[in-house]
Amino acid sequence: MTSLAFPVTGFLDPGRLWLLAIIPLLVAAYIVLLHRKSTAGIRFTNTSVLAMVLPKQSQWLRHVTVALALLSLVTLIGAWARPNGVDKVPRERATIVLVIDVSQSMIATDVPPTRLDAAKTEAKAFVASLPTAYNVALVSLSGNPSVRVPPMTDRTALNRAIDALQPQDGTAIGDSIKAALAALDQAPKGTDNSSAPGMIVLLSDGASNAGQAPLQEAQDSAKRSVPIYTIAYGTDNGYVDLDGKRNRVPPDPAALKAISQATKGQEYSADNVSQLKDAYKSIKSEVGYESKVKEITASAAGVGLVFALLAALGALLLGARWA
Amino acid sequence: MSQPGFAPPTGQPAASVLAEPAGPSLPLNQLAPEAALRRLELAIVRRLEGFLHGDHMGLLPGPGSDINDARPYQPGQDDVRMMDWAVTARTTVPHVRDTIADRELEVWALLDVTPSMNWGTEGITKRDLGIAAIATIGFLSQRMGDRFGGMIMRPDGVRRLPAGAGRTALYGLLRRMLTEPIVHDNAPGTMTLADGIEQMSRTQRRRGLRVVVSDFLEPGDFELDPNIEPAWERSLRRLAVRNQIIAVEVVDRREVEFPDIGDLLIRDPETNFQRYVNTSDAGARARMDAASAAQRERIRIALRRAGVGHIQLRTDRDWVQDIARFVLAYRRVAGQLHAPPQGVSR
Repeated sequence: MTSLAFPVTGFLDPGRLWLLAIIPLLVAAYIVLLHRKSTAGIRFTNTSVLAMVLPKQSQWLRHVTVALALLSLVTLIGAWARPNGVDKVPRERATIVLVIDVSQSMIATDVPPTRLDAAKTEAKAFVASLPTAYNVALVSLSGNPSVRVPPMTDRTALNRAIDALQPQDGTAIGDSIKAALAALDQAPKGTDNSSAPGMIVLLSDGASNAGQAPLQEAQDSAKRSVPIYTIAYGTDNGYVDLDGKRNRVPPDPAALKAISQATKGQEYSADNVSQLKDAYKSIKSEVGYESKVKEITASAAGVGLVFALLAALGALLLGARWA
Repeated sequence: MSQPGFAPPTGQPAASVLAEPAGPSLPLNQLAPEAALRRLELAIVRRLEGFLHGDHMGLLPGPGSDINDARPYQPGQDDVRMMDWAVTARTTVPHVRDTIADRELEVWALLDVTPSMNWGTEGITKRDLGIAAIATIGFLSQRMGDRFGGMIMRPDGVRRLPAGAGRTALYGLLRRMLTEPIVHDNAPGTMTLADGIEQMSRTQRRRGLRVVVSDFLEPGDFELDPNIEPAWERSLRRLAVRNQIIAVEVVDRREVEFPDIGDLLIRDPETNFQRYVNTSDAGARARMDAASAAQRERIRIALRRAGVGHIQLRTDRDWVQDIARFVLAYRRVAGQLHAPPQGVSR
């Protein structure tokens, strides 16, 4: 159901609106015609008795007809100027933000084939299990977290974006939570301007080494009652070779657990990650509306046509003698 | 008897319904129904002589008895027996005592020419019908040698046409009435019929016959109850105290029978009334006819109450016959009609 909000946000051809200047002229002409003494008509002498015997026919139909005709003219001129209206599109507000760690530590191969690929697979499987109406956003977690995909329901684009994730330097879990909350804000607002209900799924190996403190951002998330579900990847003896140097990259499940506990979320490991599939049920589904600007010439012309038809009907009633 | 028998109606029929007429709808020679009167002469006119009028002193100027004024003696013209010796002695100039020559009746006709009279659907306007009525009454009174004067009531005032005796004077009077400029629609002015009658009784002090020609329609007077006096009744009654009055009520057929001519805009020539009326509504027509009849009845009762003779003339009828019929009936009722109430002297 597409409800049309009539307030017009703009016109594509505003110059044509100058034609509206004839409306006051027409109104003035009508008033002048009403008050001008007509020289047409029949002279009759005994009008004082006539006035008493034959009461004045009510004039409201005439005024209404003229008003309808003018309204029709206004609307059609408006339509000619090609108005833009705000179309409200209903949209599921529930939003799940996937935060996938793309730091260099994720290329460790202790989880086959790599931690990153395992996370991608897990993420895609999770997304596939979600109801199609739910919005999913994607945030890449690195030293410079960014919103890769805004909240949307297009799963194909999301999967492509997940596939395209490349390892980057740094792990700023705090910043990534901030980015995830920002992504959540892009979801349609509620009628009371509340942010969308949502949850954050953080796939990481845990060790934050840049940006804000993760727990501080987790508090923000908790304040907005957005739970963060964390999935820890990796084993204690995972390593990566960077610049010819072997670095040990053990995961930090404790840090992730702290984050999820701070936000009333859950922490999972690769073993029990299948339970995550039920986690989305904790966020309530809400339908919001999102406004979209689009040309509403046809609607305006239709309204004008309705006014014109009513005016024609009034003129018919005024002019026709049925007996 | 739907049309005057002696002349077909002239002018555009019903043209006065659409716009005010530019001039008289009847030429003078058709207005003066002399031929008709001559036809009627033996049957009616001779019998009518003297009956239209009150009895008065005599046909020719007599010496009179009422002392009017003293004026200088005109040798050869004045009777020396009328010398006023007292005044002559006081002024050392010979004076005669003038007397009011109570010699004849003066007939004065008040013609209402307000815009509502410029109307008629049968080829002749009410105003011209009124002039025709004045002409008929004038020719009837000719035989008495009475002086006949006219007053024309326009919205902005009353024009007085001086009285004269004789056929030529009457023709002149009628011509001046016919050529009196048409009063335009919605002409400014506050003159009402009551004012016109008041003015007539003020300016013409001498007793006589008064003819009031009007449609007796007042703008804005929609009263139908005959117990409520019209505005002009009081003035008419005051005029009737000293004079014999014949009220000629001029009516058009379409004022009594409302026509069926569809949905149209009706406007009043005197007021700024304008209204769309569906005349095809039979119920509305019936109501209108009933109201018009009640209105005419009220006028009739008011005229009767004022003690005046009442002729109703219609533009679609032969006014000469209507007046003749009135005069014949008037002969029987005039004494009673114009008698003052018991205990009141005139």
